[in-house]
Amino acid sequence: MSEVYEFLCIRCPKGCRLKVMVEEGRVTVDGYECLEGKKYGEEEVKNPKRIVTSTVRILNAKYPRLPVRTAEPVPKDKILDVINALKGVVVKAPVKRGQVIIENVAETGVDVIAERDMECVEK
Amino acid sequence: MKDIVIIGGGPSGMAAAVRLAEKGYDVAIIERKEELGGILDQCIHDGFGTKIFGVALSGPEFAGEFIEQVQKLGIDVYLKTYVKSVEASGKVKEIITVSPDGVEIIKTKSIVYAIGCRERHQFEIKIGGTRPAGVYTAGMVQRLVNLYGILPGKNVVIVGGGDVGMIVARHLYLEGVDSILVVFPEEFFAGLPRNVQQCILDFGIPYRPRTVVKEIVGKDRVEGVILVQVDEKWNPISGTEEFYPCDAVILSVGLVPYTKKLTDIGAEIDPRTKGPIVNEFFETTVRGVFAAGNLVQIFDYVDDAVESAYLAAEGVEKYLRGEERLERPIFINPGENVRTLTPHRVEWKDERPITAFMRPAIEGKAWIIVRNERGEILEKSFRRYVRPSTLERIEISRDILENAEEVFIDVRGL
Ligand SMILES: Cc1cc2nc3c(=O)[nH]c(=O)nc-3n(C[C@H](O)[C@H](O)[C@H](O)COP(=O)(O)OP(=O)(O)OC[C@H]3O[C@@H](n4cnc5c(N)ncnc54)[C@H](O)[C@@H]3O)c2cc1C
Ligand code: SF4
Repeated sequence: MSEVYEFLCIRCPKGCRLKVMVEEGRVTVDGYECLEGKKYGEEEVKNPKRIVTSTVRILNAKYPRLPVRTAEPVPKDKILDVINALKGVVVKAPVKRGQVIIENVAETGVDVIAERDMECVEK
Repeated sequence: MKDIVIIGGGPSGMAAAVRLAEKGYDVAIIERKEELGGILDQCIHDGFGTKIFGVALSGPEFAGEFIEQVQKLGIDVYLKTYVKSVEASGKVKEIITVSPDGVEIIKTKSIVYAIGCRERHQFEIKIGGTRPAGVYTAGMVQRLVNLYGILPGKNVVIVGGGDVGMIVARHLYLEGVDSILVVFPEEFFAGLPRNVQQCILDFGIPYRPRTVVKEIVGKDRVEGVILVQVDEKWNPISGTEEFYPCDAVILSVGLVPYTKKLTDIGAEIDPRTKGPIVNEFFETTVRGVFAAGNLVQIFDYVDDAVESAYLAAEGVEKYLRGEERLERPIFINPGENVRTLTPHRVEWKDERPITAFMRPAIEGKAWIIVRNERGEILEKSFRRYVRPSTLERIEISRDILENAEEVFIDVRGL
């Protein structure tokens, strides 16, 4: 038994049309233009996931919010849990891009990281 | 005197600066904001850089990669510096800037403009009614939410089904506004399918196609909008008016290149892209003045904007070295089913193929064809799927242009 799924890669604006074939548990992907697309195609049939991006409160920085994201995609049904786990989180500048802000967010096994450097500014 | 001054410190400006500084040229970047990065600092979602870095980064991360290179190369960066006027006609060009330190004149041999685009506002799409507080553009909302953590309202109406509108809808949904309604005049969302899926359908955000805001209602603050349905030609259908209560209206009705600075120095503009007319190395019609990124045309993909900047950097180098130009330019014109096309002409002697960016007017399987004025096909390439929301990048071989005065590009559906 083999099944074929078609969907659009959502990893970047290019929107490649992916064809994913599942044959006896083996998944093959066609139509991607970069490896992100191959990974996405495999995951979308097994366990659909999304990167979650949001912001947390930051003190002593140029802006009051620090953009953050999950380091890896998390299961789609965990998106709101991740967002809720970020509410009330307060960090202090300085922060470095890639720095872990929350470990294992909402028990997903994935960390939340800072998207940018934020220097400490004396007010 | 500088070799090159780059105006605008977004991804395109930084990319051009890095390329040229790596080759040893004396480069400066002028940026009016207090940091480099352009609009990427507010685009906190992921999906940037799959082509250049092979991974999907967020906007700030993508910018961060370039900011690091700018710093490493020791490029001169003028922040909080606004370009007031430019004298660009001569060999030595003069840029007059204003910053908190005062007025300064910077002399340079060449200029790359990379000042991006601006958002269209309600006056440009003819929304009637009062002018209360609570009407925003999508970009303003992105800044408010992502940098300051301020929500525009509790019940919001988003006007426009493009990518920016959809991305803002998702952020507002996740940040907890009470209700969202997206309206647009088209039959379906005009933006990329990926955003329809991951921003709207993933969360079941309500939307109404073939619907526009006719009027904004409210004295001091927005109290609601009057929605009206439209037909295929976007004409309102009488009897379908409806009052919809809301406390914020967010307009996401398109981006336009920010060309005022270029028309000031006499550069010609393409009415289709609304950006400058450029040659294959993104040089404008003013010699030694180049343009890159969203100022030339709206690139929905930052990687393509950066590629345009790399091409401009090649052009700057050719200009500074005084390389030879063709005796007369060869024009590249949009043909059948092409909405926009850059570059507009080929002006330099070179071997490399010409990189062009084109927005198709049709959707589906297609051939992209380069033909001459007599209709003879010079080159063609196949596309599995084209659509108006996706900019196509094509390469045109130089040898097919020999003896041609002009060529046309067509998109032909299968
Ligand atoms: C909401 C949104 C979502 C997007 N999502 C994606 C995505 O998922 N993936 C992707 O690849 N791309 C995406 N893009 C596209 C991408 O952001 C753009 O292609 C890219 O930012 C264009 O870069 P730029 O350098 O040309 O312009 P900008 O980033 O706009 O930079 C222009 C710079 O010039 C400066 N400037 C302007 N005028 C002056 C002046 N007079 N003097 C000095 N400086 C000046 C500005 O302050 C700014 O810093 C998105 C864009 C938007 C708006
Ligand atoms: S396969 Fe790669 S290039 Fe194509 S849409 Fe996915 S991430 Fe983008």
